[in-house]
Amino acid sequence: MLETFLVRAVHVALHLTTALLLPPLLPGLIAKTKAMVAGRTGPPVLQLYYDLARLSRKRAVFSRTTTWVFLAGPVGTVAAVATASLLVPFGSSPAPLHFQGDAVFFAYLFGLARFLTVLSALDTGSAFEGMGAAREVSFAVLAEPALFLGFAALAKSTGSLSLSTMLASPGFSFSRAMAPLILVLAGWAIVYLAENSRIPVDDPNTHLELTMIHEVMVLDHSGRPLALVLYGASLKLLVLGALLIGPLFTRAFGGLLNWAAFWGLLVLLAVGVGLVESFTARLRMNRVPQFLVAGILATAFAFLLLLV
Amino acid sequence: MPSTDLLLVLAAAGCWIIAAGAGALARTSERTFLGLGLAAALLAAGGAAHALWTGHLSGLAFRFWGLTAWAEMDSLSALFLVPLQVLGALGLVYGSAYWPLPVGKGRGVPLRCCYALLVAGLTLVFVLRQGLLFLVAWELMAVSAFFLISTEHDKPEAAKAGWVYLAATHVGTAALVAMAILLARRVGGPLWVPAQGPASGLDLAILALAVVGFGFKAGLLPLHFWLPAAHAGAPSHVSALLSGVMLKAGIYGILRVSSLLPPVPHAGALLLALGAFTALYGAAYALAQADYKRLMAYSSIENLGIIAMGIGLGMAGRAVGDPALAALGFAGALFHMLNHAAFKGLLFLGSGALLHATGTRRIDELGGLAKLMPRTALAMLPGVLTVSALPPFAAFASEWFLYRGLFAGLLRGNPWSASLALPALALTGGLAAVAFGKFYGAVFLGEARGPAGAGAHDPPTPMTWPLAILGVLCLALGLAAVPLLPLLERALSPLLPGTPIPLSTLLSGDLRLFLVLQLLLIAAGVPLVAWVRRGFAEKTSVPPTWDCGYAAPTARMQYTGGSFADLWSALLPGIRARVRTPRALFPPPTGFHPTQRDPLGLDALEPRLAQLADRLLRFRRLQQGNLSVYLLYVLIALLGVFLWMLVRAWMRG
Repeated sequence: MLETFLVRAVHVALHLTTALLLPPLLPGLIAKTKAMVAGRTGPPVLQLYYDLARLSRKRAVFSRTTTWVFLAGPVGTVAAVATASLLVPFGSSPAPLHFQGDAVFFAYLFGLARFLTVLSALDTGSAFEGMGAAREVSFAVLAEPALFLGFAALAKSTGSLSLSTMLASPGFSFSRAMAPLILVLAGWAIVYLAENSRIPVDDPNTHLELTMIHEVMVLDHSGRPLALVLYGASLKLLVLGALLIGPLFTRAFGGLLNWAAFWGLLVLLAVGVGLVESFTARLRMNRVPQFLVAGILATAFAFLLLLV
Repeated sequence: MPSTDLLLVLAAAGCWIIAAGAGALARTSERTFLGLGLAAALLAAGGAAHALWTGHLSGLAFRFWGLTAWAEMDSLSALFLVPLQVLGALGLVYGSAYWPLPVGKGRGVPLRCCYALLVAGLTLVFVLRQGLLFLVAWELMAVSAFFLISTEHDKPEAAKAGWVYLAATHVGTAALVAMAILLARRVGGPLWVPAQGPASGLDLAILALAVVGFGFKAGLLPLHFWLPAAHAGAPSHVSALLSGVMLKAGIYGILRVSSLLPPVPHAGALLLALGAFTALYGAAYALAQADYKRLMAYSSIENLGIIAMGIGLGMAGRAVGDPALAALGFAGALFHMLNHAAFKGLLFLGSGALLHATGTRRIDELGGLAKLMPRTALAMLPGVLTVSALPPFAAFASEWFLYRGLFAGLLRGNPWSASLALPALALTGGLAAVAFGKFYGAVFLGEARGPAGAGAHDPPTPMTWPLAILGVLCLALGLAAVPLLPLLERALSPLLPGTPIPLSTLLSGDLRLFLVLQLLLIAAGVPLVAWVRRGFAEKTSVPPTWDCGYAAPTARMQYTGGSFADLWSALLPGIRARVRTPRALFPPPTGFHPTQRDPLGLDALEPRLAQLADRLLRFRRLQQGNLSVYLLYVLIALLGVFLWMLVRAWMRG
């Protein structure tokens, strides 16, 4: 009894530490991969940690247009995504909190983060940030059904509406659910790139108005709020990444092996995102909805395959 | 004595009528009227809350015009009565400052009189259980709402909205009269008691008539055409009551009638699909509106669609004998009904504060009001987050019930309707976020886009308190899902008679963890805010927005509400922005003319109705005004009846 409790406590502790400390590593890995592919040296992998430390010592500048809503974006994003990190299983270890219907809560927490970011962008009264905010909410409308249809497919095949069972349940291997799973993961990969504002949906490196979505919404943040924005974005990479790599696990990875495998897969995911960013071009803005609809179609097909 | 609760509610209805009578006299002071109304609301809310708490069923039989009549309050009625009285009382307090007697060309007197009559009519609708009396109360409600909607009848659009509403509500009532007659045949008397025997074609007809008749009130597609103009044109505290409660009278009617009939197969799935379509349509057209009160009215259509989805799911569960599915669907619908009363009441009362302060309903003339109206901005934020169904607020909790129900329906039972409704609900949430991001962002944030908001300030205390109370309710109802479960369970018992309702056993464990998450989410924000705020204690200079270093920003360069929603609204049929590109050596000035038409709404309906009216004019030839011709008609009619009776006798042998 005590032993299982201790094991569980260690797992929860590892879960929380991973969720809190690991995220800033991922953008560094992506940047490093891109630099290496391009033949550059690139910034150190730990660059975001240094940036966060520097920003937390800096004074913030607030435009005279802004109100208290301006802070709701950065604070709300980190709070919502950190809460979401408690719901998603890391590998085959179940999440600290799980209940039937937590998948819905998980999805809507990202909705909350997005909505507050949009409000704080509109609070600056800037044309650019308004543009980014409009694009962000409008494209998110298409990302949400893809996420939910994926949940529906997994719920249909596992009979559960809890992420910890839906994702960590094996039985996918070489069964009838194999093809739908691949389709769901393909659809979710599109959602992953869109939600984390990565190429081909968005370019995190430019502020050029023709391409900007997410990056432009946070133009006016500085100091500690900017630190929260950057940290929140990296946390999103990790939490949604766990959604993608969860189904790849089997029960065979028990105990600490699970954690090693999870961290390894996260690194691979970041490298993968870096490679995608290196070898694809940004889509034209009016192509982005089509790309997202492809995500909906993939998950919808997965769901249909399970219904028939 | 079990019927005390009902007597309290009936006394309250009487008290509202007395308040209406007193309010109709110009010499009755504001204070007396307010006192009478608040006393009535307190009585009724007390009775209903007690009935809901104890689960007592209180009934009263009496004779009326020589007919037996029956009034009854079960937990379902009580659940609808509580938000009615709360919102009625808050609207009363709000209205005393929003539309005080001296202003508005002396319309304060009929306004307050009809307001009290509307609440009285609604109170009676929720307790009367006899076809004829129900229809009388229904008409009291419908007609007083007509006078409220056309309060500002000197404005052509308000006058038109009132007449369209009156026509629509009476077409609905016609369907309800037919429904009441058929129902009386089915149950064997005018009293509304559960029908015996298996489902038949008659049940389907009754249910279809009920969905049409009550659907007119609830704004289900395509019967919603009267709604946006009516809710936008009414005084704001009336809009709050119309949207928050009167629409729910339609929902109540559908629920009540369906609870009297045996389950009709496939009706649930059809209602679920209709609800999903209504929700999507309402959300999509909400985001395209340029007028914030119309935006909220479309959002009411959306939310009523979501409630209809819940009812459809519940009916589907009832038809296949799956109590878990039925309980999740009905409970989601009822919970969302409560939440919608709170957040839509808040949003309409808040719009009233905006209208009061700025005098315009156009989103793109406003901006930056959070600095001028900080209290209103603070109170409206929970409403905006709730209507976008975001955690930890109330509407998210009720939509979560629905998601649970839809997933349960997916795993067993109705996969096609559930799989249709599931992405529709997700899409609806996203579109609502666009609509209300546009509203809050363009109205409260950024800089003013025009002179309209220049002198704006927070409204007086009687208007801010109702906003604050409803804002707190938006959060509290979301956190209180666990204690609300037994109440919802009791309210479901009339809908699922004879079956144990597994709501608590299904959900209470999950909802506790749900609450933990909500609290964690709130708790996570607090230290973060503290940490960020400590970073700028020594704030010295106040620069303009950086904006990529753009040197001379003006407020006109901001994104407007229209451009914010343009990526989606450009796709909607009927929503267009015409820009004439100047093509000349010396181009003349040009303009940008957005048009907003609702392809299923009045804009599309009106020309067709006009055409129909034109054709009907041919019958005018029958109307000669000549007595002898009319006598001829009577003779022909009599002969026709004789002939028909003869033929009938001959046919029967």
